[in-house]
Amino acid sequence: MSWVCGIWSMIVSACLTVAAMHVLIWCKKPTAWANLLFSLMAVATAALAGCELWMMRAETPGQFGTALRWLHVPAWAVIVSLVFFVRLHLRAGRPWLAWTICVARTFTLLLNFLVGQNLNYREVTGLRHVPFLGESVSVGEGISNPWMLVGQLSLVLWVVFVADAATTVWRRGDRQQALVVGGSSLFFVFAGTMQAVLVLWQIIHWPLTPSLFYMGIVAAMSYEMTREALRAAELSDELRAREHQLEEILDGTPSLVYVKDLEGRLLLVNRRFESVFGVPRQHLIGKTSHYFLPKEIADAHRASSLEAMATGAEVFVEEVTDEPDGRHTYLSAKFPLFDPGGKMYGVCGISTDVTARKQAEAETLRQRDELAHLSRVAMLSELSGSLAHELNQPLAIILTNAQAAQRLLAQQPPDLAEARDILADIVSEDQRAGEVIRRLRSLLKRGETTLQPLTVNDIIDEVLRLARNDLIGHDITVHHSAAEDVPQVLGDHIQLQQVLLNLILNACDAMSANPPARRHLTLATTHRDRAVRISVSDTGHGLPPDAERIFEPFYSTKEHGLGLGLSICRSIVAAHQGRLWAEARGAADVPDTPTTASGGTTFHLELPAVDEGKP
Amino acid sequence: MNATHGTVFLLDDEPGMLKALTRLLTAEGFAVRGFTSANTFLASYRAAGLSCLVLDVAMPELNGLELQQRLTTAGALLPIVFLTGHGDIPMSVQAIKAGAVDFLTKPVNAADLLRAVRAALQRAAEQRDVVAEMAVFRQRYSSLTPRERQVMHHVVAGQLNKQIAADLGTGEHTIKVHRARVMEKMGAESLADLVRAAERLGVGKSVIGNR
Repeated sequence: MSWVCGIWSMIVSACLTVAAMHVLIWCKKPTAWANLLFSLMAVATAALAGCELWMMRAETPGQFGTALRWLHVPAWAVIVSLVFFVRLHLRAGRPWLAWTICVARTFTLLLNFLVGQNLNYREVTGLRHVPFLGESVSVGEGISNPWMLVGQLSLVLWVVFVADAATTVWRRGDRQQALVVGGSSLFFVFAGTMQAVLVLWQIIHWPLTPSLFYMGIVAAMSYEMTREALRAAELSDELRAREHQLEEILDGTPSLVYVKDLEGRLLLVNRRFESVFGVPRQHLIGKTSHYFLPKEIADAHRASSLEAMATGAEVFVEEVTDEPDGRHTYLSAKFPLFDPGGKMYGVCGISTDVTARKQAEAETLRQRDELAHLSRVAMLSELSGSLAHELNQPLAIILTNAQAAQRLLAQQPPDLAEARDILADIVSEDQRAGEVIRRLRSLLKRGETTLQPLTVNDIIDEVLRLARNDLIGHDITVHHSAAEDVPQVLGDHIQLQQVLLNLILNACDAMSANPPARRHLTLATTHRDRAVRISVSDTGHGLPPDAERIFEPFYSTKEHGLGLGLSICRSIVAAHQGRLWAEARGAADVPDTPTTASGGTTFHLELPAVDEGKP
Repeated sequence: MNATHGTVFLLDDEPGMLKALTRLLTAEGFAVRGFTSANTFLASYRAAGLSCLVLDVAMPELNGLELQQRLTTAGALLPIVFLTGHGDIPMSVQAIKAGAVDFLTKPVNAADLLRAVRAALQRAAEQRDVVAEMAVFRQRYSSLTPRERQVMHHVVAGQLNKQIAADLGTGEHTIKVHRARVMEKMGAESLADLVRAAERLGVGKSVIGNR
């Protein structure tokens, strides 16, 4: 076998093998148009090689001319497919140049079949036999076709296009790709074009072998495509490692993680999920919550998932589940999942067990209520004189009225009208006494915090009523000013009474060393920016240098004080989302009093107002 | 004179209590004038007829004991019955020392209250009698000549005419005449009457003291 036959056969088979591989890839992934174009180019290169062999083995000028004419078909295919391969694979090259090349080359192909024997020779007049790779091959001789310039111009445009595209890729930073695809294409296209020009203008007498050069391009492209495949394989390994890592994280996390489809069927659960419900994941996948939870709980879970899907945003809910060791509370974050096309396909939930935290919170709340109760009881014992008076007063009135009635009825004639009035008064006084007892009992009650909309001025009035006798007994003048339209606040009636009572009793104590004329207690209610503020001012001894200390537990200035009052007040106010603080009294805080001298303390209690329309 | 039918001033800052007390006392036939604060009472109080004051100790602004003080300082002759929700012993002692008729604790029994009110009005009547007597004595005393007053002072000090004459450096007969005129002018029928008048007027003690 001759060298020529061997080498050209190898080119053909190599090109066809590569083409077959990439056609297969394209069949698997129809969007891989670059692979299809590459196959086309490889097949065309194989055809080129075939035509070249035909030309080299031509025995008559006619045979040579025909072979050359048909060679232009694969040449067209190679050029066009390379142009689009560059556009697709490298995402570079100017579109207008690409289309110009296609049009020019197609025009060239038309000329090839319409003008002269072929594009290159108007007529092949004879064959010359030249030695090539140790044997004699045919090389055409004849009249060159001037239209050949069009073809060669298209080749030059092709070189420019590839050079431009390679520069773009180079600038983009893909230097290796620019060198392998751009550089090699440029080199082989340039070399092939030069050889064609030299041979066809019969400057050198050589057989025409563009397939040798285009084979170089195919090899370079093939290398590039293989590199891509290798990179894909690496990526898939990386992805697998990443997936494994994610799985480990999911399984290691102490929260329950799960993904459900739009119908609520589980798509994914983590290990914690399996262990909480004691069901292996293969039995859970594809099931809804109703499979492993009681209906009402499962319904609640479904509702929150639907909410996340409806809003398309993250939803936080507290959920409960029944587990072998009792009911658990979970804080769940649920968010919808979207596929790359932006279509929602499910909901992911991450549920953290907050049972212990909830219990601790409940315990703290219970302790706070308990402390508040103790402090109330202590305060009431301080107030017992006042309360006894509050109770005594209606009893005294009832007795006197009753005895007056006895006398009126004993008269002749009895004064029945007055007796009726007396009975009405007795009833109302009795109710008043009952009210005192009810208030007392509610203050002594050990109750849970219950929030409801309250009118602060009503509370102030009630508290002043409770402390009335103490205030009179201490010769304290009380000023109460309330702004108009003070909005309601959300609060626990008893606890707010307790806070105010505490502040008032503190104020009394603070002023006990003052002469009676300098004992002024001022309560002012104001509101601003959706907050209601109650300010309790006294003209007493003022604050210690480090004012915040008074809110610390066991800090007391009283001989008999526990030092818990203000610290409990502050925790009560904090539970109302409010603030309680103290500052030195300004003269402006007591507007109506004759004493403008400074000294004394103002306690501010600020509570958020109830939203109107949302009682 | 009927001591139980006078005017009772009532002072209690609790309107319900004031009303009840008014009914009780009115039913017993007293004229009642009620007030809820010490200041309004002071502003409208005028001494007239037989009257007493029933007063609540614990009141804002001016409390019961302070009011008592004021009235005493002003020389008002108004016997006071105190009422209190929770009186303590020092408070009641202070009130009684300052001249209160009684110190009662609420709830007060009608009988106790009425007894106290009657006692207060009785005292008011007595005070009125004393004041009236005083006025008479004072008027009679002012009609004495200086010499007659000297003689009277010595007489009520228990001196005999002879001693008086010696002290004043005059004759026993002259003293006798002065003495008869003093007795006549002072409206005294006996020496005891004269001594009582002198006591009321607070005169004559100095003579004995000087001895």
